[in-house]
Formats: sequence, C-alpha cells, structure tokens
Amino acid sequence: MEKITEKIREIAKLALENGEVEKIIGWNKGDTFDDSYPVFITDVDDADSLIWDNFCVNNLSKYLIQQLKVSKKIGVFLKGCDSRGFSQIVKDNRIDRDKVVIYGLSCPGMIDPEKVKKEGLHKRLLSVKRSGNELIFIKKDGEQKASAEEFEYDKCLQCRYPNPVVYDQLLTEPVDREVKTLERFKDVENLEALSSEERSAYWVDQFSKCIRCNACRNICPACSCEKCVFDNEKADVSGKAKADSEEQFYHIIRAYHVAGRCVECGECSRVCPAGIPLHKLNSKIIKDINELYGDYDAGVDPSEEAPIGTYKLDDSDSFTEHGGEKK
Amino acid sequence: MSIEAKEIEGINKNKFEPLIVAFCCNWCSYAGADLAGTSRLSYPANVKIIRVPCSCRVSENFVLRAFQRGADAVVIAGCHPGDCHYTSGNYHTRRRFSILMNFLEYMGIEKERFTVDWISAAEGHKFASVMNNALEKVHKLGPNRKLRDDRWKR
Repeated sequence: MEKITEKIREIAKLALENGEVEKIIGWNKGDTFDDSYPVFITDVDDADSLIWDNFCVNNLSKYLIQQLKVSKKIGVFLKGCDSRGFSQIVKDNRIDRDKVVIYGLSCPGMIDPEKVKKEGLHKRLLSVKRSGNELIFIKKDGEQKASAEEFEYDKCLQCRYPNPVVYDQLLTEPVDREVKTLERFKDVENLEALSSEERSAYWVDQFSKCIRCNACRNICPACSCEKCVFDNEKADVSGKAKADSEEQFYHIIRAYHVAGRCVECGECSRVCPAGIPLHKLNSKIIKDINELYGDYDAGVDPSEEAPIGTYKLDDSDSFTEHGGEKK
Repeated sequence: MSIEAKEIEGINKNKFEPLIVAFCCNWCSYAGADLAGTSRLSYPANVKIIRVPCSCRVSENFVLRAFQRGADAVVIAGCHPGDCHYTSGNYHTRRRFSILMNFLEYMGIEKERFTVDWISAAEGHKFASVMNNALEKVHKLGPNRKLRDDRWKR
C-alpha cells in the first residue's frame, strides 16, 4: 500500500501541475491509527499528504456533487464500491462525467476499527499494514500478526465489486475476492424468519436510537436530491418531535426513496453514531427487487434501466393471489 | 355476496371499530365505488375513501402516515393493468407497491392490512367485496398499533 501511496501523490502532483484537474479529492492521515479522512487539494505542495491505507473507507464520490459547483474539473480516487456510487450519481444526472478524472483503486477490503478495538489491539497501536491476507499491527512495543478477514468490515467481506466499475486510470492491480454469495441476504433472511411482532419490536428498538443527525442521508450516494423532502417544512414529513414515529417515518421513507438506486456501499450503517443497522433496510428492498423484477445491481451498468421508474407489461406483483401476470 | 360488519362472528362492535383508508383512482375505482353505491351494494362504513387522480399518485408517505395516524388497514385501488387513463400509471403502482408491501411487512405490519387491487368502473361488486374482505381481515387481526404515532388519539 505504501507503493500505491507514492503513486497517488505522484499522479496528484502531475495532474495539478499540468492543469489537467483543478482539485484532487483524496484521503489524509489524522492523529489516530484509524483516522483516514477525506481531503480536497488544490495546492501541489499539499499532494504529499495524500495517503492510501487500510482505513480509507470513506466514499469520496458524493463530495463531487458539491465540489463540481465550484470547480471545473476534479480528480478523485475511487474504490470499487465508491465507483458504483459515482455511476449512480452520474445516472441520476447530478454530475457531469466529463468533468471528473477518476483514478481507480482496487480495494483489498477495509479494516473496521471497532473490530480492532474489540480485540484490544488498538492499545499502543501506531499503524496497521497489510500484505495479502495478513495484517501486521505495528505497536510501540512490537508487532503482531493476524488474519485480515477477522478485522475487515462486514460489508467488505460481502463485497462483490472490489475493482472499480468505472475509471480513467487504474492505479493498482485488479483484486480477486472470494465472496460467499449465499450469505448476501443472510441478515434479511434472519429477520424475515421472525414473527411480525418480533420484527416490529426489533425495528422499534433500533429506530428509537436515532438522533436524527442525518449522517446516513448525507453520506449516501443515492441520496443526492437538491432539496430533501425531509428538509421541506411544507411537506408534513419533516417532524423533528421526539416521537418514535417520526424516526420510523424518516428511515422507512429514506430507504424507500433509494430503492433501486442503493449501491450497497454500507456507508449508512458505518456512519450511524447510534449503530442502527440501516443497510438491512436497503438489503431487503434489493432482495425483493431481485426476486420480483430480476437481478439488478445499481451503479454497475449505466445503460441498464432502473427497476423502480420503469415497468414491463407482464410484471409480477406481491399483492394479488396469482402474483401478477407471471407465475 | 357481501358481509356486513355486524354479521362477522365473535365481533363486539362496541369494542373495536376499524378504520380503513382507501385510495381510489378517479377513473376506475372511484367510479366503481359510485357504482357500488348506486347499485345499493353494501360495503362497510369503516372505509374512508380518498380520491386520487391515479393509483400511482399515492405516495409511500401517504400509506405510512395513514398507518401512523389511525388506519388499521390501507387499500389502494386502481384501474386494471392496461386500462390506465394515463396509459402507464398503474404499471408503476404495481412495481412500487409490491416493494412497499413487502417492506412494510418487514417492518412488522401484517401483510393483510395492506391491500392493492384493480377495480374497474364497471366492477361495483368487486369494490364491495374488496372492502368487505379488507374489513374482515382487520377484524381478525385486531387494531393496528405498529408504527403508530405516540401522539395519536382517537
């Protein structure tokens, strides 16, 4: 990963110097081992602070919507999941593809700091290095090795697109990942197996933790509306009262609004300060769309029609006894 | 033919009077309701009809708000596929509410509380039977308290 960091800095410098791009969006390293935060660079000298490590999990594609309003051309580093978010934003006509230079990065899987903390490995930890499927925790008092699989984000263990689906320049060798496809909807199936009372209790409990910080909405590459319905005072949906129903309304409607456009980057669950498993909402909708209207991966093939917003004459449904025209 | 609320066995009318919100498309189902009325077919008074220009005008917000603020069941009725006044509205209804129905079930709302059906302007009988069926199902399930707004009072 150090080699790629060098490459990133080189490319950023070159692109800024010859005026190919006006701005670079990448990651910087903060004070703690897990702090890799997004950064916007316009000065060539700042390019030396760019990094690529095991914690560059933040999806940079969403920033393009705001930044392209003030910059003419932007270079951005995108992982596999980020590139799907990017494609979705382009498909939603929120940004102009020609104004962006994409530097693709194949992602071996990002490390979840929470899992590191759970194992107690974060104490006196300086940095984490990766070689293949092995992690090396470099501490003040020596090194410790571990299997990377144990520390990767759950969403990364399920990742089906580690390589960018769209890029102008690929900076790394493509990565090959083995994914247990059967486990893709395991969380959803576990919930579906419960009774409706248990499911209701589960979600009431989860949603009651919500503090309405809107982090899930702000990070989501599919939530790209100019003005969100939840910011519209006249729409009778922006209730901020501390009533459980308002939070339930917010999450159910938000998940439904991104139906057919969710790219499964799992950022909503990651950024949630209350730890609500929001991805389980989107997974359910994706599962249903796949079952009813055929397999569809948002943000992969822009020419493919989105399942919600289009129709076929012989569609199946879930409400008539015969299930629509088919079956 | 039709089942009136009082005829359903084991129901104490004083105890539980369900509220059913029915979104009816202006061109087919609302006219179907009209026909049910002029044909003197009986359908329950628990059904509150909201006329919408097309079944696909019904937003997921309406359905969820209805459940949160007093509805025990929600019915969406539109023209039969192929008969939409706006050519394609009910095809969108079919996709969107198939997804929403499964999603609300995932949230813990019983599937029986949410009905989507196609009722043409000539199907007064079907209108009455759909509404009677919806009422019968709600009577079996009892009042809905899931997703209910804490501030809601009847």
